[in-house]
Amino acid sequence: MGHQGLARLAPRRRNATPGKIVRRTGALVFVALLGLVLAHVALAGDPAGLSPRGPDSPQAAKIEGIYWLLIAITGGIFVLVEGALILFVFRFRNRGRSRTLEGPEIHGATRLELIWTAIPVVILAAIVAFVLVKLPGINSADSAKAAGPPLIVKVEGRQFYWNFLYPNGVIQVERMRVPANRDVKLLINSEDVDHSWWIPALQGKFDAIPGKTNHLWFRADRRGTFEGQCGEFCGYEHPHMVAAVQAVPSSDFQSWYDREARAQASGTSDLGKMTFDGACATCHGFHAQGAFGPDLRGNPILQQPAAIKTLLQNGRNKMPAVGKGWSSRQMNALLAYVKRFAGSSGGG
Amino acid sequence: MAVRVAPDPASTIVSRGRFSSWLATVDHKRIGIMYILTSLFFFVAGGIIALLMRSQLARPNEHVFTRDTYDQMFTMHGTTMIFLVVVPVFAGLANYLVPLMIGARDMAFPRLNALSYWFYLLGGIVLYASWFSGGGAARAGWYSYPPLSEHAFEPGKGQDLWILAIHLTTISSILGAINFIVTIHNLRAPGMSWMRLPLFVWSIYVYSVLILIALTELAGALTLLLLDRKAGTHFFLPSKGGSAVLYQHMFWFFGHPEVYIMVLPAFGILSEVIPVFSRKPIFGYKAIAFSTVAIGFYSMLVWAHHMFSVGLPTGLNIFFMLSSMTIAVPTGIKIFNWIATTWRGNVILDTAMLFALGAVGVFTIGGLSGIFLAAFPFDWQVTDTYFVVAHMHYVLFGGSAFALFAAFYYWWPKMFGRFLDERLGKVNFWLYFIGINLTFFPQHFLGLLGMPRRVWTYNHHGWWAAWNLVSTIGAFVMAFGTLVFLINVVRTTRVGRRAGHDPWVADTLEWYTTSPPPAYNFDKVPYVTSARPLRDLRRRLQEGSVHA
Repeated sequence: MGHQGLARLAPRRRNATPGKIVRRTGALVFVALLGLVLAHVALAGDPAGLSPRGPDSPQAAKIEGIYWLLIAITGGIFVLVEGALILFVFRFRNRGRSRTLEGPEIHGATRLELIWTAIPVVILAAIVAFVLVKLPGINSADSAKAAGPPLIVKVEGRQFYWNFLYPNGVIQVERMRVPANRDVKLLINSEDVDHSWWIPALQGKFDAIPGKTNHLWFRADRRGTFEGQCGEFCGYEHPHMVAAVQAVPSSDFQSWYDREARAQASGTSDLGKMTFDGACATCHGFHAQGAFGPDLRGNPILQQPAAIKTLLQNGRNKMPAVGKGWSSRQMNALLAYVKRFAGSSGGG
Repeated sequence: MAVRVAPDPASTIVSRGRFSSWLATVDHKRIGIMYILTSLFFFVAGGIIALLMRSQLARPNEHVFTRDTYDQMFTMHGTTMIFLVVVPVFAGLANYLVPLMIGARDMAFPRLNALSYWFYLLGGIVLYASWFSGGGAARAGWYSYPPLSEHAFEPGKGQDLWILAIHLTTISSILGAINFIVTIHNLRAPGMSWMRLPLFVWSIYVYSVLILIALTELAGALTLLLLDRKAGTHFFLPSKGGSAVLYQHMFWFFGHPEVYIMVLPAFGILSEVIPVFSRKPIFGYKAIAFSTVAIGFYSMLVWAHHMFSVGLPTGLNIFFMLSSMTIAVPTGIKIFNWIATTWRGNVILDTAMLFALGAVGVFTIGGLSGIFLAAFPFDWQVTDTYFVVAHMHYVLFGGSAFALFAAFYYWWPKMFGRFLDERLGKVNFWLYFIGINLTFFPQHFLGLLGMPRRVWTYNHHGWWAAWNLVSTIGAFVMAFGTLVFLINVVRTTRVGRRAGHDPWVADTLEWYTTSPPPAYNFDKVPYVTSARPLRDLRRRLQEGSVHA
């Protein structure tokens, strides 16, 4: 289609004025600086976030499979749509033609409308089918390679830490220890507000909602520590509500599991420290030195277990009821641990 | 041209009248302008809050603000942009344009129209006054899930004032919606059948129906929350037998139609601007009109895709995945039709057109990331992370705001009789285009890296910190774009080039009257014989069948 015969009515001003040169140089410097920052980080070799973290479980691997399918399909659509947009705008741009010159009177094309309705339907149906094929392997146990019966752990979300309750009575805080290569089922709920359990390398997010128990399955493919943090806004310490799953060899897990049960029953475990570090240190600091919350060192309340207990179970002002519903085992462990801060006044 | 004699400049809308006459006005054009200027004010306020948040997140463990202030800021940013900017600015544009586009002298209920505006302004004042209430503004996020928003966890007055402010803006929107529906049904020019209705008016019609359905329902949900907080009920308190998930259903049954309340009018703007600057009729008028209705309908069937991780039964998750995928089809139809409109056209790249094309290009990214979120097992990975933040800003900033700026550059000459400056306009566009992509594209990566939304800080270095820094830089680039726009607006009031009745040689009836139009809009409206009445008129004039 030729526009050669059309008069160039609109005057064009395309001179490289000094202002334009300054602007272009500025833009170049800006892009170069940005490139430098990113190159610097790229050299460190961490994942850049171009795909989900991991995957370190069959469940997360299947989710990542869905991700790559979607990247391929939407990438293709992106290139076609943006390509057509840029091509048409470039090809049919005004180029000095009269501003009032009209293009052809094309009001539509029914066949074209049907085609670009049908093709997306087919593509979306293919995506849905792929998801439905992958789904059973994501929200259930990976039955193919199960080694032994599943481990079932209760997960309690609380402002602002995670409590884990094992079938033999062991309690853990923030860091969950599981056997590698064994199915784990989590029963997730909350004691206060909504939270969301999320370890990206192992599984998607599942909300911890009061009055409701959700469950998820995962099986860590390898030993290692997999980190995550709360995925649903739960109050002012939401960013510090972290979680980790530590997968250890099955035999190591079993010996730790039995040893820890005995230690917690006899009160010689580090459950008190673990609870303090998870539930209290977020605001009061690991050494009770105070941060968002007050300095606890030398505070007389530390000498009064009954008063601490009431405070922990009910909260006060900004302090949430972090100890609501604790077993006496966990409460006693914490009360024993905090005694150490009673004497030290921290010099100020 | 067969239009009326230009009125005395002293009687035009901007120059006439004192302050008090604006307070008492029931003229749809003045109300529209008040809506638009008020929402621009809140746009700047919400934008400043966003810049402050990006400053806090620019580096790991930054302490520009306290955690408490940050939580108030993200709550206010979201609430401002949704309830005080995007929804009302479209109400303002529609107020100004719908009567003009359908050849009417005013809205059906002019006093009700004024009342809607004053309720909106009052809602905005209440929301911003809540910063100064005991305990500060609300801090439970723009969707304020209980139990966090219940009295036990959020005893401050800010949350109550937040509910009051939303109630006020909701009443405003509902009254406005009734007015638009009645106006569009009853006041169309002779000959303007539904298939000759401008596509922007189509989109406002569906926008209004969605407001009637969704915002009334939101008002119900927030009333229950208020009763929980103030009257000791426990609709949403699980510890006393209520259900926290019930609120989520109620909220998102409003919340997803709300997305289309904020996007459909933007689509309507694109369907007006793109054909005029392509010098061609819109490709597939009926396909676009019907896909608007289809999107409106499906928007009420997709709400639980915001709730894939709350543990709904798998069957329901599958249903909501299917319905959410389905809504991509009519949305795609619109995009294909806009692109086809430019084909073989005479594409004039004025600022209005740049923003319209930019909206198509950038919104497409938001639409495609929406497909990721509809595939619910993948949504389990990225819901409530920065991936979602990126997605919704591509839709709402890339779609709605870009289209809005297209509308400003396109209709400004009609509203104020002067063009916005094209050179500043292009700087405005490119700063926005570069800024939005710098700000929001890296946020997809942050979501995949594991960064949840609504965190006031993070303790990760490497890529986490790098992408956050890039995002913050992008936010400031956009802020410069906004500054350029404001300078353009101020400059235009003094030295802007004057516009005639129909500076863009456009198709619809608002260009038939003067710029700005007189209080009564038209002396006489021509009989409408197609969806492009003004072009028909020009044709007839050229052929000599109408005498000026």
